[in-house]
Parts: sequence; C-alpha cells; structure tokens
Amino acid sequence: MEDYDREPRGHGRRRFIAAAAAVGLGSLAGCTGLGGEDETETDSTGDESVSQIGSGRSPFGDRDITGGVSISEMPDLSGELTLYSGRGEALVGELITFFEEYYDDFTVRPRYNSATELVNQILTEGENSPADVFFSVNAGSLGALKDEGRTQDLPTDVLDLVRDEFHDPDGQWTGTSGRARTVPFNTDQFADSDIPDDIMAFPETEAFRDNIGWAPTYSSFQAFITAMRVLEGDDATKEWLQGMQDLGVTEYNDEFLVSQAVADGEVGAGFANHYYIQRILAGRTDAPLGTAFTSGDAGSIFNVAGALVLDTADDADLGANFVRHLLSAEAQDYFARTTFEYPLVSGVDPIGELPSIDELNPPEGLDLTQLSDLEGTVRLLREVGVL
Amino acid sequence: MATEQQTKTGDGEEQQPLGLTVASAAVAAAVVIPLLWLVKTALDVGFVEALELVTRPTTVEVLLNSTVLVVLVTTACIALGVPLAYITVRTDLPFKRFWTIVIALPLVIPSYIGAFAFVSAFGPRGVFQRLLAPFGVESLPEIYGLPGAVLVLTLYTYPYVFITTRAALKSMDTTLIDAARTLNHTRWEAFKRVTIPQIRPAVAAGGLLAALYALSDFGTPAIMKFDAFTRVIYVEFGSFGRDTATLLSLQLVAVTLLILTLESQIRGEERTTTGGRSGNVMELGRWKYPAIGFAALVAAVALVVPLGILLTWFAQGVAETSQSLAFQPEYAFNSVLVAAATAGAATVAGLPVAYLAARHPSRMSSVFERATYVGYAVPGVVLGLALVFFGSSYATPIYQTLYLLVFAYVIRFLPQAVGSLRASFLRVDPALPEAARTLGETPSGAFRHVTLPLVAPGLFGGAALVFLTTMKELPATLLLRPAGFKTLVTHIWTAYAAGYFGQAAVPALILLFVSGLSMLVIITQEGYDVK
Repeated sequence: MEDYDREPRGHGRRRFIAAAAAVGLGSLAGCTGLGGEDETETDSTGDESVSQIGSGRSPFGDRDITGGVSISEMPDLSGELTLYSGRGEALVGELITFFEEYYDDFTVRPRYNSATELVNQILTEGENSPADVFFSVNAGSLGALKDEGRTQDLPTDVLDLVRDEFHDPDGQWTGTSGRARTVPFNTDQFADSDIPDDIMAFPETEAFRDNIGWAPTYSSFQAFITAMRVLEGDDATKEWLQGMQDLGVTEYNDEFLVSQAVADGEVGAGFANHYYIQRILAGRTDAPLGTAFTSGDAGSIFNVAGALVLDTADDADLGANFVRHLLSAEAQDYFARTTFEYPLVSGVDPIGELPSIDELNPPEGLDLTQLSDLEGTVRLLREVGVL
Repeated sequence: MATEQQTKTGDGEEQQPLGLTVASAAVAAAVVIPLLWLVKTALDVGFVEALELVTRPTTVEVLLNSTVLVVLVTTACIALGVPLAYITVRTDLPFKRFWTIVIALPLVIPSYIGAFAFVSAFGPRGVFQRLLAPFGVESLPEIYGLPGAVLVLTLYTYPYVFITTRAALKSMDTTLIDAARTLNHTRWEAFKRVTIPQIRPAVAAGGLLAALYALSDFGTPAIMKFDAFTRVIYVEFGSFGRDTATLLSLQLVAVTLLILTLESQIRGEERTTTGGRSGNVMELGRWKYPAIGFAALVAAVALVVPLGILLTWFAQGVAETSQSLAFQPEYAFNSVLVAAATAGAATVAGLPVAYLAARHPSRMSSVFERATYVGYAVPGVVLGLALVFFGSSYATPIYQTLYLLVFAYVIRFLPQAVGSLRASFLRVDPALPEAARTLGETPSGAFRHVTLPLVAPGLFGGAALVFLTTMKELPATLLLRPAGFKTLVTHIWTAYAAGYFGQAAVPALILLFVSGLSMLVIITQEGYDVK
C-alpha cells in the first residue's frame, strides 16, 4: 500500500484461506476438462496448479465446462509479448505460464504493477513504450488509455466473444471478466427484502443508521460514485453522499474489510464488489452474510477487468490473439475459480451462490468508459468531506 | 551551511580544487536533471488551477499535519538513535556487534508492512485485543492517526540517526573526553561539552534523513489513516491526475528545500577536530541490564511485531498456494546485487560532493551538497516516472535494465551516503593530510592514506544506509525493473497485494537474514578504523 493501488485488495487470513482453497483444492491428476489432452504434458511435470486450468474445480464443488471456445480452437500464439499487467501475478501468473507452456514458441515479458501506475507509465513512455498488451483490473484504466489515443482496434471476432455491453463500443478494448456492485448484508439483522431496491433510497433508510459501511478510497467504490454522477447528476450524488454521512456510515480501507465487518455483525450492511462476499463465504460457509442487488441504478453497475492492444505493439496480431486467449473457456473458468469473478463468455457460469449474469439488472445506457472519470469524483468526495 | 572558512591550508591549488568542483557539479546535475520532468509535467496544469490547488484549505491543512509529523518523528528518532549508538560504541555492552546489526535492521522493513503489522497487532480489534479478550478487554485505544504514524515511522527510521551517530562516535577522538575528565568534568558534563559538539553534524545528518523520509513516505500515513501531504498526492495519482500529482510533489520539494535551508541555519558552526584515537570505554556496571533491555525492547518492537504477525498468518494458512508465489533463491541474489551496486555507486558519487562541502565550504559547494537531497524527498513513484520519461525518451538502450534501475536508486539514496561522509570529513583535522603532504605524499596519496582511513566508519555507515534502504525500495523498482526481474521486496509485494499475507513471511524473514548478514560484512570492514 506504499504508493501503488492494490486491486483486488484484501486483508486477513480468511481471504488468504479462501484464495488458497480456490487454487489448491483437489490435485487429482488427469481430470479431464476442456483441452485436457493438451495438458497431459504439464501433468507429467507434476505442475499441479497449471494442470488444473480447465478442470473446473472450486471450493463450492467441481464442475464441467461445456460452453465457450477452447484454446485448442484458437489461432496459435508465437513470438514474444510484452504484457503490462495491472492484475496481480498471484492471480494471473499461472494462467500466463499455462499459455507459455501450451505453446512451444511463445514467451511473455510481464511487468506487474497497479493498473493506474501502469497507465501513468505508458503515458509517460509515450511512443517509446515497449508494451504490447495492457491487462487491467478495471474499465477505467482501459478507458483512460483509449481517451489518450494509445489503443488500437481489436478484431471483430474477438469482440464478438463477449456481449456488446462488456466491450468498448469503438472496439478498442474488451472485458475479460466482471464484477457486480452489491450490498452485502448480515442475515441475522436483515432479510433480503429489507434491503431497498433503489440505491438512492439508502440515506433515508433508518435501519442503516450507524449500521452501514463503505470504503471511499477504494477504486471500485469511486467508480460506483462516478456511475451515480453520470446517471443522477452531480447535485443528487452530493446529496446522497451527504445523506449517507448524516446517517452515520463507517469507513473501511477496502471492501473486503467492509464485507468482513458485515459478516462479523460490526455493521448490518455495506457496499462491496460481489466477489468479496464469495471469498468470505468460501472460507466461512456458515457466515451470516448475504448478497443483495439494487436494480437499474448506480448500485447495480457491472464493471469489467479487461485488456487492450497498445498503439505501440510490435505485433498487433499476436496482441489481439493473446486477448482472445483471455476469453477462452479455460481462462474464463480460471477467473471464475481463482477470483470468483463473473466470466463474460456465455456458457461459463460464475461460481458460488450468485444469480446468473442474465438475472442482474445493471443500469441501461451506461457506457463503462464513462466510469474512467474518477478525477471529478474524487473532487466531489473531497468537497463533501468524505475524502 | 558552514559559513566560516575553517581550513587554512597553505597550498594554493587545494583552495581551488577544480577537478573536485567539476566532479561535484556533475553528480549534482546528474541527480537533479531527471527531476526537471516534474517541472515540465506540472507546467501542464493551468496557472489558475495550480494556484487554487496549492492554496486550498485541504492542502494547507495536510501540509500542517505533515509538519507536525516530521517534527515529532525526527525528535523521537534522535531520542532513540543517539543513546542506542552511544551504548553500542562507547560502553562495554556485551555482544556489541550483534546489537548493532539488530538495531540497524528495522531500516529494511518496508513501511507498509510495518504499519500494516502494527494495525493488525494493536488495532482496536487486533491480535492483542483477542489475546486480552478473556480478561474483559473489549477494545484497545485507537492506534490510527498521528500517534500510530509517529510510532511506526520512528521505529523504521531511527536507524538513520543510529548509523550516522555511530560512525561519528567510532571515529571520534576520545582523548578529548579523557582530558575533560582530568579537568574534573563528570561523565555527563564531558558528554555534553565534548561528545555532543563532535557528533552534532552526524546527528543532524541522520535527523535530516529521518525528517525527509517521514515527509515523503506514502504507506504509513495511508494505513494509519493520517492525513499527511503524501495522501493527497496518492489520491491524485489513483485518479489519473498525473499532472496534479506532480505539481503537488513539487510543493513537497519546496517544503524539502525549506527543511534543508532550516537545517543549514541551525547546523551552525562545525568544528574540525583531530580524529582517530578511540579508547575510553564506559563501564556500564549496574546499567548493563537496563542497557541490554533498552536495545532489546526497541529491536523487539520494530522487528518482532511485523514478523510475528506475518508468521501467525503463515502458520494459520499453510496450504497449497499459487505457484507464482513459490520462493526462488534468485530473488535474494537479485536484491543483494542491486543493493550492493547502489551502495558502491552512491559512495563513489558521494565522495567528491561530501569532501568539497566539508573541506571547501562555499555557497557553491553547499548548493551541490543540498542538491543531492532533492531526489530523496520526491516520493518514489514520482521519481520513478521521471526516470521512465528520461529512460524511454533519451536512454532507450538502458531503459528497463539494471543500469537505469541502479541510477534511480542512486538518485533516491545518494544523500544517505553524502550526509554520513560529510559528517566524517568534518571530523578529520586538516593538519593530518597536510602533514602527509610535507612528508612527500601527493594530494591524492594523502587523501588515500590519511583522510580515507579516518573517514572509513562514515563511509561504511553511509554505504550501509544506502544498502539497507535499496533492499526495501519498491515503487521505483516496480516501474523500472527489467521484465521478470524479481527481488525479495517485489516478491513480498506480490504476495501481500494478492492477500497471501502468510506467503510474505518467508521472503520477509529472508530479507532480514540477508540484510543482517550483509551488515555483518560491512561492519567487519569498518575494522579498517584507525586505532
């Protein structure tokens, strides 16, 4: 936390155990999933973690993947690729190793850092940037590079792998996995029906008085406020923030801590990304923790992690094909299992007690790139005295 | 700035050391020029917006908060560092070498790990509260805010004062103390009237390093929820406000320049004295155990708390984890490699600057010396981006190679070598190299055979500071390292950022072990000290 952004952020051993369980459960060799034949090679090296990619195991039980496009049906990757990754090595390192081992002649030169810092680095490098592909935790960072004209068109057949709302309308970037904004609530204190369906009604909900938590320095929270500004306007957003402060909201450093505080009953409800709740439940299946969704408003936005090919890429085709591989059934299943994210390719379902992606009600007409304007949001948060 | 001409060397060409001046100027220029990027970028912010930004109430308020933080941390560092240096050099404390290493080691603990561990341990519902829960302790007092920030910053920066003061005590001429004692001074009076004036430049050098560290640190205030100036910069960076963040960093540089000027003013007259003979060891007697207790307590709080917390997680969560987190011995090798290269480079670059500033004080030489501090006060990310710009635009062949990375470290940590060296040069009586000259030595021969051995403790002290801080540097490393280059600290960060806290314990332990071993080597070299 020195001077870089951490995402996904998380503290505490429960998260650790959950994540460890996600990666480590089961080591049955040779379990077939998609692309199983190609993995026998890695199996023989005893590399269990990598061999699990495509096997469908999870802390909520094993599963078969039948949908999506397997990497065996995709163009081969070959050559060297410089990847600037805003997603942590602990989360995506295995996936990248998996691709490298799958192909004889493919190497990735990775640079891991926080997404915002990599955007700052790419902008500072200008046209001398060695980066080919940028892999980000949020649409905001992707949009920021697009706005600066540092991206290039992705092939249509790559964009078509995900639904229209999950890629850039101009085809400059595509989402690779997603996360829903949710309201974690303590099931000892509330029933699902007690949680308002409308995010704007929260400040007037007396049950939340001195009993709700948020993490205003956390980037996903700021993206949520940005969405509110886009949908409701700055004045209404300011009023909402003021109202929440008057209601007595408890501040946490990040949303894993918010979810944990809700599970512990420290507060009755909060604002958090969906996967934090799943991570806690994976470690403590009996935790009194439920997931509520608002409907068609800023509280129900669905943001994506995604990738783009930079204008400075040496080999644009290789870059685009790498992005394509991030949308393979194997990679999609990997995201669902290791990070509890929503896969974006239809046919690969999320893991845990979650509604399918079609049952969510994200606001209509909200372009995810609009969420990149965190600057105005930070200014507003500061004006109201939240930051 | 020492205004008085303190040396009266008879040799005309030593008055105008052209080569030295050019070397100093070159070093100062090399470390300042990359920072021009800050000015360039900050100029992209409109004037009106800029003025509004630097004068708005929040900015002023956080600036005040930072000032309070800096003053308290510096005072506390001196209060801890000087006594610890004294008991490890001037007394018959048992296992001095062991204590010296252990007391210096907190410098390698990254502040975010330290602060995070303290919050976990002493937070309202932290580990200690849970231990005390059976006794009815519901919640501990808040550690967040100013007290927590001061505590953590002090524990991880007092080694600056410790190491520089130690070097001064080591090379101090103790016959002066004996003289004072024969003149019926008590030990305390002798300390006050003889020792303090002699170690003052070194204490000031260490205090300055601690103060500037406290000013530019991001992690601790962020975790302690204390609204320091760096937190504002952090928020701007997080929202792609690169220009604004840079402008605010320039403001931080301005504050730094103010501190540097203030420190010059209060530094006052600096005496040059004969260096060298150290005997006079104080017998602790019945104070032996309290002294051991003091050293042990400081080291325990600073080292055992973070390690204990990490190990607790490690023990609770031993399970298969991501293979990307498997530890490779190569990481330790890489850390030592870059840290040693930086320590060597910074010492070589620091020598002319420190020598000129101490031996030929003038406005120009002190400008060169002060210039080396600017990079140190710029937050690591900002400095890293400045070098990303220069590297990718003007030095493409070395961009994202170890050469540029080491250069970045040198810019960041050079003042640690300069401060320590300058304080040592001030303690060398100019009459000694002169005597060597009259005996037929060349100027460089006199320097090598007389001056250099006399400043050896300061030289190695400075190198040790650079080495230890390079071991833990993170933000510039992440921006400038070659692809796939991993050190102990980037490995700790990878585990920590993903929430695998237990996995951070192993590399953190190795970091301490490797640093301790390297310190042992450095301290053994110090034996080169003149007896």
